[in-house]
Amino acid sequence: MIAPCPAETTVPKNSRRPVLAACPNPCNNTTPGSVAQAFQPVLEAVHRLESLCHFPAIAGAIFMALCLPAMAGVTPQPAIAPDKTVETSNASILRVNSTDQAYDFLRPWTKKAPFSRRGLGTLIEGGRILVTAELVANNTFIELEKAGTAEKSSATVERVDYECNLAVLRPADPAFIAGMKPMALDRGVRVGDRATVLQLEPNGEIAQTLGIVTSIAVGAYPLDNMGLLLFRLSAPMQQRDGSFTLPAVRDGKLLGLLMRYDARSQTADLISSPVIEHFLGEAAKGNYGGFARAGIAFSATRDPQLRRFIGLKEPGGVYVTDVLTGGAADKAGLRKGDVILAVGGKAIDQDGNYEDPAFGRIAFSHLTNTVSHPGDTLAFRVFREGKTLEIPVKMEPRDHSKILSESYVVDRAPRYIVLGGVVFMELSRPYLQEWGGDWVKEAPQRLVFYDAFQNELPQDRDKIVFISQILPSQDTIGYEGLDNLVVSKVNGREIRNLNDLAEAAKHPVNGFQKIELEADPGVLFLDAAAIEANREKLIKKYALPALQRL
Amino acid sequence: MIAAVVAGVAQASPVAKSLVRIEATSQEPDYKAPWNPGEVSGGVGAGFVISGNRIMTNAHVVSNARFLTVSKESDPKPRQARVLFIAHDCDLAVLAVDEPGFFKDTAALDLGGIPAIESVVSVYGYPIGGSRLSVTKGIVSRIDFQTYSHSGMDSHLTIQIDAAINPGNSGGPVMQNGKVVGVAFQGYSGDVAQNVGYMIPTPVIKRFLKDIEDGHYDRYVDLALSYQTLFNPAARKALGLKDDDLGVLVGSVYGGGSADGIVKPGDVLLSIDGLPISSNATISLDDGTVPLAEAVERKFKGDHVTLDILREGKPQQLKIALSDPWPFNLHSNVYDEEPRFVVFGGLIFQPVDQNFMTAHQPDDLRLRYMFDFFIEDKIYKERPEIIVLSGILADPVNAYANDFRYAIVDEINGTKIKRLSDVAEQFAKPADYYVIKMAGAGRPIVLERKAVEEARKRILSRYAVTKEQNL
Repeated sequence: MIAPCPAETTVPKNSRRPVLAACPNPCNNTTPGSVAQAFQPVLEAVHRLESLCHFPAIAGAIFMALCLPAMAGVTPQPAIAPDKTVETSNASILRVNSTDQAYDFLRPWTKKAPFSRRGLGTLIEGGRILVTAELVANNTFIELEKAGTAEKSSATVERVDYECNLAVLRPADPAFIAGMKPMALDRGVRVGDRATVLQLEPNGEIAQTLGIVTSIAVGAYPLDNMGLLLFRLSAPMQQRDGSFTLPAVRDGKLLGLLMRYDARSQTADLISSPVIEHFLGEAAKGNYGGFARAGIAFSATRDPQLRRFIGLKEPGGVYVTDVLTGGAADKAGLRKGDVILAVGGKAIDQDGNYEDPAFGRIAFSHLTNTVSHPGDTLAFRVFREGKTLEIPVKMEPRDHSKILSESYVVDRAPRYIVLGGVVFMELSRPYLQEWGGDWVKEAPQRLVFYDAFQNELPQDRDKIVFISQILPSQDTIGYEGLDNLVVSKVNGREIRNLNDLAEAAKHPVNGFQKIELEADPGVLFLDAAAIEANREKLIKKYALPALQRL
Repeated sequence: MIAAVVAGVAQASPVAKSLVRIEATSQEPDYKAPWNPGEVSGGVGAGFVISGNRIMTNAHVVSNARFLTVSKESDPKPRQARVLFIAHDCDLAVLAVDEPGFFKDTAALDLGGIPAIESVVSVYGYPIGGSRLSVTKGIVSRIDFQTYSHSGMDSHLTIQIDAAINPGNSGGPVMQNGKVVGVAFQGYSGDVAQNVGYMIPTPVIKRFLKDIEDGHYDRYVDLALSYQTLFNPAARKALGLKDDDLGVLVGSVYGGGSADGIVKPGDVLLSIDGLPISSNATISLDDGTVPLAEAVERKFKGDHVTLDILREGKPQQLKIALSDPWPFNLHSNVYDEEPRFVVFGGLIFQPVDQNFMTAHQPDDLRLRYMFDFFIEDKIYKERPEIIVLSGILADPVNAYANDFRYAIVDEINGTKIKRLSDVAEQFAKPADYYVIKMAGAGRPIVLERKAVEEARKRILSRYAVTKEQNL
């Protein structure tokens, strides 16, 4: 530390800044760390736009394995009689072993080391097996294993949706599940109901943990900060092998899949049966639509001064603070400053909740994303400048191809181009998440801000193309150490995505590849003929499987 | 016996006649409760007598000072001193002592040049470990540009020495052959790097003394542009340069700075005031190889600099009048200034600067973005000051404003907020509602005048707010 002499001490800028490009400990997704972190401020999520905000902590928890306390000598059991109906549930559940291998976003031409996750799958009608999407994310091989007999068969993912964190698997051999019994969905869950979380003992017997549904609310799902209906269960779980995905049942029916567990408070978050039902309903269609979004951000109108100022006399309503350009609400004509009074005929209160006949007061996004399906039209009753309007909004899912910086890239390889040792990529949140749990502060700040404020940027490009690093070579002398620089033009052509760059690179100007950057050093030149001549050398030196992947 | 030994040491060092121990009582402003006078603290530093019955020391020794005393080696009685000139951007200050006869038995020290690498220097001061004069010895390790941590933003020529420099050495002279070759001012603590201490070299000291000759300290001037080394053969060829290792490439030219509108990004700087610029951004001055910026460092506000450049392959000569680029000050630590703020309806509004950020450490992304990229993204054009809702003195009038802490104020009653005075102006205007819009998505904060007026006295007394604004 620099020490200006009387008592005070300050650190000079740059004094111990870590070398970011060589991030020694990128987020290790496999670490079953503090599960407590996996819990999110659920209510906050409701008041923000699904797509305009981000949940930094979720990012780190995306693939967090379920970490349960090891079995202790004394087993505390709740004073509730075991549910007799689940004793035969092992006829419906299987072990699912998934070998997963994610791409390395710091070296986009390589994959990270593979690792395996073990969870339980639930057989549902149609000979399919339901699991969480996290269990099979980036999978290279999925194996089903029968409880008790350890008989094995491989399986493939038939449909996966990372927003609702669900996947259906199909066994390679349909005969493998012969004799098993599909489980139906429990559609009648209420707060206060008892439910049983199933685990498997090594001998294939069912281990049950009884719990109580303590709350039903819209909360954050791990990816893409989607707010969907959650069942929260209070249940004292114990560690058993293969507890990554666990079914929770009631009277022999599936009410949800365990997604998170907090060992300290002994509460589990379940992917709820209405969300599962919506997912399966969409999966049954030829054209999977997923979960729709209105594409708005809103805030509560509890402040009486605000209500008086806007002349709002109705008791409820939420204030629209942002409308996602090109989203469903935008197309329907909703505007910033509108007050949403009712959706689909249901009155919205000052906090954005409606009275659900089954679940009580829950966030109205449940109506837009789960109750209604893409293509459905929902009527929004809106208060605007003293008048009340009825605006039909045709619900639609998010168009992922239009997202500037994607919040997740799973089962897909990151795109890149290496031009004479200069590595170009398209910005995505997984890239930033390579800086670890505190990536919002640790990752290159310019890119973090681009990701965070992407909806406010001019809509003149598809992706943020940037130089992620330089692989030093004869052609890049003097450019060593440059990284995380956003590219604006190459050879005079605007760069809106990597395809533009690939095309622009075919047209060097006066024998040079001219790369214009948004920040210092402003411009880089490469000798087009020299980098072409040194192609093979570069490939060999850095063991690159290819100089580009688009 | 002990007294004799001490006297003997003092006599043995001729510097003792020039050295003073400075005790400063300072008051640190409180950026979280900006109406408060702040915490009082004390510190000890060193200083030395220079020509004109003045005492030279570091700015950080006497910053935010409320009461200053100096005491001589020969006469330990503290005498009151006052700051004549202070330069926070180069961490130097000059003090006066009004008591007649104070300087009678002192000897003014002369300034030398830049000492040679590996030559031996002695550091004098009052570092921790005792209360009397201490001398440490070392060699000149390196001559380079360094960030001056007092302002945290400015970089100037700095000499690194391996003599121990510890808290209390600040402001003390570094001597060689009976002349001052530097002022000790900063160093690394042992857990980061061993034996790395820094002194302010005489070109910086001389510039400061010359600057104040007219009775006023102007800040350092700057070209306000960034440049990159030009080693890459392809880049050199593409820019039409010879293979002579000369020239640097301009990356950015910052708005409002000296070179704004004159130099363009993509220009190649070939020479400055006739001195050829090497491709590693250095020039040869009388003192050897120094960073290119040194040619500008030694100049003053209004002075000119001549650049030979290559623009789109054609040579040109540019003449630039030098000034100090104000937007850069946002990232500089500020001293001797009271925090500025407005309190209205229990909401505290403050302009964002480095002091604010250090005190509050806000996590808010938008605020961090505007602060970090204030210059690079030319945010100052739209917002010469970033005004933030920095705190909420909880009261029924602002019961629903809690979510807006650290939000940036964009508009009040339809008027764009560009500086703190705009905030005060809008709140002074009579209106039924005060509608405060924040940058980015969010609902406005609405305050009813009646409610604000009703709450005013209550908030001021409950939170002991002694002042409602300091513009």
